[in-house]
Amino acid sequence: MKTMRKIRCVLFLLVSLACCRAASAQDVVLVANKDVQVSGIANSDLRAIFLGSKTRFSDGSHAVPVTLKGGPIHEVFLKNHLGESSEDFRAQWRKSVFTGQGAMPKACDSEAAMIEYVSATSGAVGYVSRVPPEDAGKVKLLISVN
Amino acid sequence: MRRRMPPFVLVCVFIFIGRLCAQSIAGVEIHGFATQGFLYSSNNNYLTMESSNGSAAWTDGAVTASDSLTEKLRAGIQLHMYQLGQLGGPRLQMDWASADYRINDHFGIRAGKVKTVLGLFNDSQDVDAIFLWTLLPQCSYPVDNKSFFLAHLGGEVYGGFSLGSRAGKLEYHGYAGYISLDLDGGFVKEASQSGLIFRNAPGGKTYGGDLRWHAPLKGLTVGSSADIEALDGTAPAGRLHVAPFLISAQYAQFTTGKFYFTGEYDRSPANPIVTLGPAIVSLPQDFRSYYAMGSYRILKKLQAGGYYSHFVNKSLDTSQPANYSKDRVISGRYDFNSYFYGKVEGHFLQGTALGYYAESNPTGLKPDSKMLAVKIGFSF
Repeated sequence: MKTMRKIRCVLFLLVSLACCRAASAQDVVLVANKDVQVSGIANSDLRAIFLGSKTRFSDGSHAVPVTLKGGPIHEVFLKNHLGESSEDFRAQWRKSVFTGQGAMPKACDSEAAMIEYVSATSGAVGYVSRVPPEDAGKVKLLISVN
Repeated sequence: MRRRMPPFVLVCVFIFIGRLCAQSIAGVEIHGFATQGFLYSSNNNYLTMESSNGSAAWTDGAVTASDSLTEKLRAGIQLHMYQLGQLGGPRLQMDWASADYRINDHFGIRAGKVKTVLGLFNDSQDVDAIFLWTLLPQCSYPVDNKSFFLAHLGGEVYGGFSLGSRAGKLEYHGYAGYISLDLDGGFVKEASQSGLIFRNAPGGKTYGGDLRWHAPLKGLTVGSSADIEALDGTAPAGRLHVAPFLISAQYAQFTTGKFYFTGEYDRSPANPIVTLGPAIVSLPQDFRSYYAMGSYRILKKLQAGGYYSHFVNKSLDTSQPANYSKDRVISGRYDFNSYFYGKVEGHFLQGTALGYYAESNPTGLKPDSKMLAVKIGFSF
């Protein structure tokens, strides 16, 4: 009986661990305006673009970063692609804004608004949890290259 | 005469109204911040406040407006008001106002009133919302004179270069222009206590640069700054002359996970000459300062940390409390939401070289003091 209980405990722990891994592995979809020529982007470039130290894609075209105002998708993007917490990300942009060194990226209220803005803005790059089928033709999907 | 400033709540209301108005002005980004501080010290009155009785005469507020005129050209302005004890007042100051033309990621140019990049925090020392600390290390960033060091009238070139994936990235700033003392700031207050009351702000030429290396080890930055400046001013009772002198700063910063560490060493030898009537007084200075700080994010909204700040004037007897300042600090910050935050800080001060004014301490200074600093802030 005791052995069975131990096995159940171990199985429960393994299942819990697997669930945690699946949750942390969940990622965002990178979207860009259809005039963006690059098909993939390295996280280091994405980080530089979203923190304002880089204003161009690798092909030289102008990049316009777009963020969500907050929420889990925003947190996942910051953590997985920029290696930042939302607090540190906000602090870095506040520093740029109040020192006159940069302008905060456009922040959208929802993923639908993000897709609309990205599709309408030349050079825009953002992220969503998924692209609904009806919006598939509006934006270009970018591959994260590491 | 102490001048009153609108209380914190009024500043917040002002900024809120500004924000609401801003939303109707297409293309122009408006941001702002307001803070209200409180100081209580066991001995001595600090920063011209009656801190030994507890004082809340510490308010800051700023509004920034900027607009991207083209892909490469951006213009902006920041207006600022502050009250720090008897310093500051209702006068609206222009922190910076510049046009920024970024040709590419390697080279850009700013012109106008531009923030001065010197050491790790000089250009951002007024942006309270980004720091855990209620007071930055006073050895390097004295709050009573921040408006003097913050910006210069002139220009700056800036940019960055990748050194490859294995060698990191270099970032540079180079600038030249004119700086002037804040008539409501600490240096002018100190001069007035010796009879030199300036009606026009003393000023002079400045030039310098900063080079920092973002190492391939994620989170590590190492850098060095140099700034040469001079000052000249005339008051009814006399003159101030400071020949060009060098301020240098070396620093390193490391962030890993929830930990943050920073250290900086600064040196500024100068020789101010004060002429008061027939007397010509030379006041040689060799300021040397360093600080080391560390912090940890305990929870998403809660941070804690501490630092040690050390300052000596090597050109004088460094065993005298008037010629050194050592400050051991513990600090905590809680973010109520994305806009509001609160900070609490304990200071264990030794020496009286920084932050003390004879006028606010008429019975003299005790060498040591403990201090509690509390601040609430709002930023958008």
